[in-house]
Formats: sequence, C-alpha cells, structure tokens
Amino acid sequence: MTITSLNFFIFLILCVTVYYILPKSFQWVELLLFSLVFYYFAATPLTFGYVALSSFMAWGVTNGMERDRKKGAKASDMKAWKILMVISFIINICLWFRLKGRAFLSSTLWGINQIFPSVKTVELPEIVAALGMSYYTLQIISYTLDCYWENAKPQKNPLKLLLFSCFFPQMITGPISRYDQLQSLYEKHSCSYKNLAHGVQRILWGLFKKIVIAEKCGVIVDAIWADFTLYRGAYIWIAFLLYPIQLYSDFSGCMDIVIGVAELFDIKLVENFKNPFFSQTSQEFWQRWHITLGTWAKDYILYPVLKSKGLQSLNKKLKQKCGKKAAKIITTALGMAVLWFVLGVWHGAFKHIIGVSLWYWIILMLEDIFKPYSEKINKKFGFKTDEFGWKFFRAARTYLTYSFGIVFFRAKDVPQAFRFLKELFLSFTKSRWNPWVLFDGSILNLGITYKELNVIFIAILALLAVGVLREKYGYARNWLDTQPVLFRRTIYLALLFAVVILGAYGPGYQSSAFIYGQF
Amino acid sequence: MTREEVYERLNQVVREVLDDEDIELHDETVADDVEGWDSFEHINIIVAVEEEFGFKFPMGKTIKMKNVGEMVDLILESGK
Repeated sequence: MTITSLNFFIFLILCVTVYYILPKSFQWVELLLFSLVFYYFAATPLTFGYVALSSFMAWGVTNGMERDRKKGAKASDMKAWKILMVISFIINICLWFRLKGRAFLSSTLWGINQIFPSVKTVELPEIVAALGMSYYTLQIISYTLDCYWENAKPQKNPLKLLLFSCFFPQMITGPISRYDQLQSLYEKHSCSYKNLAHGVQRILWGLFKKIVIAEKCGVIVDAIWADFTLYRGAYIWIAFLLYPIQLYSDFSGCMDIVIGVAELFDIKLVENFKNPFFSQTSQEFWQRWHITLGTWAKDYILYPVLKSKGLQSLNKKLKQKCGKKAAKIITTALGMAVLWFVLGVWHGAFKHIIGVSLWYWIILMLEDIFKPYSEKINKKFGFKTDEFGWKFFRAARTYLTYSFGIVFFRAKDVPQAFRFLKELFLSFTKSRWNPWVLFDGSILNLGITYKELNVIFIAILALLAVGVLREKYGYARNWLDTQPVLFRRTIYLALLFAVVILGAYGPGYQSSAFIYGQF
Repeated sequence: MTREEVYERLNQVVREVLDDEDIELHDETVADDVEGWDSFEHINIIVAVEEEFGFKFPMGKTIKMKNVGEMVDLILESGK
C-alpha cells in the first residue's frame, strides 16, 4: 500500500473517521492501531518487531536514567545507564546495518574493486528491511540523547513512545521528527473544518507534485539515462537540469502528502523543505533541503564531533602552529568529513560517498574558505547583492552545483556517473552539438507527448509561483486564505482536476515508488 | 560576576570569533539576528566562550539554547 494508492486513501478516510468518533483520550491508541495496520499492508508484518524493539529499548534506558536522577544520582553514578544507552545505539545501528547496510557493503566492495581489482566483491542476499527503519532509527537515537542531555522528559508509557516511532504517515520518507516536536500526537483533538481543509489542500498539492511533475519529468530523464550513448549533446543537459526538479517534486511532494495526512488529525509535522532552489549558497541549500536530516546530523554528529576532546586539542595545537583561521578551517573540515561520511552511509551506497558526500564536502569547505574574500570583492566593486539579477545568478549557480552532485545519486554506479559527466562536458563538441533537438520535436521521441510537455512546463511554472508565495508569506496558503472564496475554490478544483486528469495514469500504469522511500 | 560584566566579555569573544566589531548582544538575541552566526560558527563561539569563562556547556545546551540570555544565565550559574 503506497501513499498515492486508492487503498491508502480508503484506509485514511476510515482512520480519520474513527479518530474523531472515538473518545478523545483514545485517539492516540487509535493512531497506534492504525499504524500497525498500515505496517501490515505496507511491509512485512514481522519487521514491525524491529521498530518495537528499538522503541522499548529506548523507553527502558531513558526511564531508568530518569528514575535514578530523581533519586539524586550524580552524573558519575549514571555510568551504567550511559553504557546501556550506547549498547542500545549499537543494537539499533547493527539492526539497521543488517537490514539496510548490506547494499552499502556490497556497493562499497564493488567500488573498491573497480580501483583495486585484488579486493574481492561480495554478493549479499537481499533481506526485507523494516519500513521506515532509516527514519525511525534516527528518531529513537535523538529521543534517547535528548532525554540523556535533559532536553526532553522521558515518555513513561512505552506504547506512546512506540507511536512516536511508527506514526504511519512518516514511515515512508520521514520527516525525522524530534520527540518535543511530536507532542501533539498525545493531545486531544477536535475535528475542525480548517484542519481538514488544510490537510486536503496539502495532500492535493503533494499529489500534483508527485503525479504531474515528478512522474512526467521522470519519463524524460529515465529515457535519456537509459541510453546516453544514443541521447547526446542537448539531451544530456535536459536530463542534467530536469532531474533535480524531478527529485524535488517527488520527495517534497511525498512530504506534502505526509504533512497533509497528519494535519487531518490536527497533528503538525515539522517541515522538510523550504524552497531549496531559491538558495543563494550550497550551505543555505542544505538548510532548506531535507531539513530534518540536516539538523539531525548537525546536532547529533557535527556538534559532538567538533566539541570532542580530540578535535579541540587538535584545534589548540593548530592555532599555535598555523594561526586561528587555518585551525578553524581544518577542524571544521574534519567535522564535516565525518558528517558527510555518515550521511553517505545512511543513503546506503558507495556512490553516495564518492559522489554526493565528497562533492558537497569540497563545495561547502570552499564556500566557507572563500566567503570572506567574496564579501570583500563585492564591497570593493560595489556589487549590489540584493538585486534580482545577482540573486538569480547565485540561485542558478547553487542549482547547477546541486545538479552536478546528484548525478551520482541518479546513476546506477560511479562509472556510469562519470560516463554521464563526460558526455555532459563533451556536449559542446562538434560531433555532439545538437541544440536544435530542443525545438524540432525530437524530445517527443523520449516517450512523452506534446501535450504532456506543455503540462510539465506549466506545472513547473506553478511550482515556481507557489515557491515565490511561500518565500513572501511563509506558506502559499497564508496568501490563499486571504483571497475571495470563489477564487480559492477555483484553485482547489483546478488542482484536483489537474491531479485527476493530467496525472500519469492509464491502463497498466502504476505510480512509481517515492525515490526517498528506498532509504 | 555581574550580568553586565558577562556581556562585556561575551561581546568581545563573539566579535573576535565572527570578526565583526559592531556586534552587540542582548538577552533576546538569537543566532539568526547576528550576521555570520551560522552552524559552523556556532560551535566556535561555544568553544571560545568556554575558554573565556573556564567552564563547559553541557552538550544538550550546545544544541539547544533559546537565546543569548540563556547562555548568559548558564555562564552565571557556572560561576556560583
């Protein structure tokens, strides 16, 4: 059962109806039961044992710590609990690695084998991973650490903690919520027109992004990637520039559906995207793209690593030898290397470490190093960085940087990514020069009709317009809510018809899985 | 140590880390209010403040500090 399927929406209507009929004190129990049902239909039921094990371990450790704290135990008396906490993390990570890390191990060995043929590759049998494992594992770790650091109060009811880990809308692609951000799970909620309307709006917008934009862009991108020895020159640029839009529409579309579903229950989930393609720098981009993973990695990996005794003493030594600025750059680079390596492993493939992680590590470090110089240059030459043209140039530069990095994300493996990049750079050579394919109808050979091409164009303009409104009003609906009823209804109906009529359907058609669902 | 004395030394530390002599911190100041106080610089500021005042912020507070006022409260508490 995928969250774009008819079965899911029948399940959802049933769940929302029962939720508001039941006495309010049972609402969280109903959500837990329906999450179990969702698990049963969307994954192997037995794998639910993994999420239950992780939750109950965290419950035991955090409540044990709290009990001793209340008895007046000092930090030095809590060592046993600290060891148990670390053991619970190791078990969680081992479970994740057993189920999800196999692909990473296989692909890493394969990648090393390409460079050093003496290293043997290993084919590991596939194991069905627990649904949402990469997401709930991070949630459980952050909950445990927050309780250990006294940033959160432990949940006394183990079943309520289980609901925090397995709340069904977030099981596909997150967001990775913190415990204090999901307290509304346990509150009593009344049915209101506003929540239902906002939830439905958000779901429709998510479906529009997924079914109309991502699926249709995917047809073009997939066709070119399937054989880029046949599709060369301008085709390569089409795939290169369109894939970020496909990925964004797919992933953020899923997030819109997930957030909209939660809103139907009057539960507010944390946002995972904030107009990433409006970013002026790559650093800003990662504060707007997959926000919950970025902030998780910053709080629980980067900061502890940078504050660790080892890195701090290195920082002191470097300050004496190379000066303050160089010491700061080197220690930050080391902390960031750990962060990007972990993120690469989390994404589960060697190509992520070689491509996306390594690429962004270099880009972010360069940005950090050159930031003071670029500011000086701007001041010296009097560049007005607030002007639209300048902002557009910087956003385009950030977009191109991102497009380059995710070639590795889209590619089957590292050699394929390099072959693609080679084609990209050779596309201006005489043998590959073919810009006319953009205008002579050749694109229609990629499995898309002229009508669909127009739909993509208009849909991307709509995406841009909503992005502009979001930048200005926080949410596009903050603006929409101020408009006349007739106008609002027209927009909703247009969205509904766009999803129903323009979406990728038809006999034998099955909506492809969400790209980030694989993690 | 008075709150004013803490602010005097804290302003100096943050100005030095961010290389900006115009910075003036207040109780309600948050990282977004200060140009250059990003996630990279946050930890440098935390470490510089720890060195200046000779104590360690708990890790939980490093990742979750409401505003500069809370930082000053922690500094004053550490001196008690």
